[in-house]
Amino acid sequence: MKPRGIQLKPSARPKRPADPGSFDLRSPSLMICLGPGGVGKTTISAALAVRAAMLGCAVDVMTVDPAPRLLDALGLGADSSEPVEVQLEGLGLARRSRRSSRARLRALRLDPKRTFDSIVARYAASDAARDTILENRIYRNLSDALAGVADYMAMEKLLELAANPSTDLLVLDTPPAAEAIDFLDAPRRLLELLNSRAVSLLGAPDGFFRSQLRMVDIAARAVLAAFDRVTGLNLLSDVQSFVRSFDGMYEGFSARAARAQDKLRAHDTAIIIVTTAESSRIAQAREFIAALERAGLRVAAMVVNRVIADLPDAAELSSARIAPSLRRKLKRNLADYAALKTREQVSLGTLRASLPADAMLMVAPDLGREPRTIADLAEIGRSLHAA
Amino acid sequence: MTLSRVLFVTGKGGTGKSTVAAALAIALSRRRPTTLADLDGRLSAAALLGATPQDSTAVRVSDSLDVIALTPRAELNAFIERIVPIRAISRRMLRSRTFGYVTAALPGLEAFLLMERLRIMAGDAALEDRYLVIDAPASGNAVELLSVSSGVKGIAPAGTLNRLADSVDRFLADATRFGAVVTMTPEDLAVREALETAATMRGRLGIATVAAIMNCVPDLLFDTSELAALSPLAAHARLAVRRNAAHEQAALVAPRFAAAGVPTFSLPLMFTPAIGPGELEKLGRALDAELLGR
Repeated sequence: MKPRGIQLKPSARPKRPADPGSFDLRSPSLMICLGPGGVGKTTISAALAVRAAMLGCAVDVMTVDPAPRLLDALGLGADSSEPVEVQLEGLGLARRSRRSSRARLRALRLDPKRTFDSIVARYAASDAARDTILENRIYRNLSDALAGVADYMAMEKLLELAANPSTDLLVLDTPPAAEAIDFLDAPRRLLELLNSRAVSLLGAPDGFFRSQLRMVDIAARAVLAAFDRVTGLNLLSDVQSFVRSFDGMYEGFSARAARAQDKLRAHDTAIIIVTTAESSRIAQAREFIAALERAGLRVAAMVVNRVIADLPDAAELSSARIAPSLRRKLKRNLADYAALKTREQVSLGTLRASLPADAMLMVAPDLGREPRTIADLAEIGRSLHAA
Repeated sequence: MTLSRVLFVTGKGGTGKSTVAAALAIALSRRRPTTLADLDGRLSAAALLGATPQDSTAVRVSDSLDVIALTPRAELNAFIERIVPIRAISRRMLRSRTFGYVTAALPGLEAFLLMERLRIMAGDAALEDRYLVIDAPASGNAVELLSVSSGVKGIAPAGTLNRLADSVDRFLADATRFGAVVTMTPEDLAVREALETAATMRGRLGIATVAAIMNCVPDLLFDTSELAALSPLAAHARLAVRRNAAHEQAALVAPRFAAAGVPTFSLPLMFTPAIGPGELEKLGRALDAELLGR
């Protein structure tokens, strides 16, 4: 696949605000947006995708759990687990698209359960093996509840979409994570679970393989056995049958996971952390940065969403012909928001200090409303600029 | 009003859940001894109160307020140490990654142990005539956490675990012992999520929401004629409208919660360069007057 990226030629670069393509998001073919819940990760992913499409790229964006209005904006239904063409008419695309006929935007929504089921179906040795897995209680819990599975499935879908040669850029929204590494690490974790000797032994009948068990394995067995005794859940046998039923599938999973890991580290993959300027989110974002560095992954950019837009000019007030009482109120209003902006600047300063030198710090000014249309997303995409 | 013994503070991410929890704990601690239990992992509420609790040990903030950090992981550790009494082995086991995955795959074991712990703490709180304020995860995860005992009952139709789950469920549904507080800001999404969370908790889990707290409400500064006079100053007008709109949106929300039987309270937007002890104190006083003064 030949990535075209969203980097602009200088002649095509709009004057203001500066374009994210002119920053350090150097022609990525994959953007992965990570971040805590509630910061507008899906909005920013979609805005980046719309922006790239408007610059002439063929873009796919995969969203996870979008708000209903964002679904509407992207024209997605509740069931759009395959890419749906997003209409870009009226966004100022027409002129550019003559230059680049590739420009298009497709959106889809990740359905972790369905993706997991389809992988199981793909790699299962037989229909019977497939059904055993799909019916297994541990599997059902894994795919329903375990956060890592949604992560893994996003990764799986990513590989599928990235294999499409007609796509220049894939923008990936990710499930909200407590820690950055949750998502990126998901394939390895799942593999480790499936491949672990201890897990197989956990499920082995009593006395079987006893000689091979380490103290830790024995203790782990004891805990599960005790839990089973207390609960009557027979978890041991479920774990055993779960691991066994994955037996022949390990190869397939392993190859996919290795490819996913390569993809994450590819030079044209851009990892983008999305956050807001609230102090608790900033602290979380800094932990994200540190965790990614520990994992040897490079952060390409950080987007701080919903920052306070530029404040009006105080000098205007002195010359304006308005009642003195109103002038006082306007001054107070300005001072109030300036105080909030100061709070925000402090947060941004902390963030900048924690970012690697070559990573870009960008802000997306608050739209003042919930994004409802594709035009709103385009506006956010356009307004993204370096902080 | 009579408040539940345990107040579970949740809301959409970014609505100031931890700030509200900390302010609520300050307000309550003026009337009775109070414990703030930080379930947030990041200990934001604890940090606001200037405390850094560790290892499930309570840290004293004032004569009547202490802070404790609870993590599912610590509860699991405690559970395992009960079952594997040889410490060297239980520790090695807890460090084993594989074991971590197995427990993660077990049906909500960690979360369930955490809820069971809260139930026990609530019993102690009742004995000591104490409030327990919980800085819970954001709404989606919070509902998942609260649903865990129902999930456990689903897979264990009988036995000890079922009985434990049953008692957790009874605790959650008992409004004198357990009540949810949902936080929001004057934004559509946050309000909708708060309404949905309250409805889900009530409908699916029988949990009462004792208060909806509208956080970050700016005071009303401009009247309509003033806004009209601002047309030559477009940028200033936008900022003025923004402030007024947030105030008005906040005012519109109360009836929607009232229809669901939930009283709404508001907290002012603090136009200050930082949220420190002084701001928290003010928010605490506002809650005291609004929520507890009734």
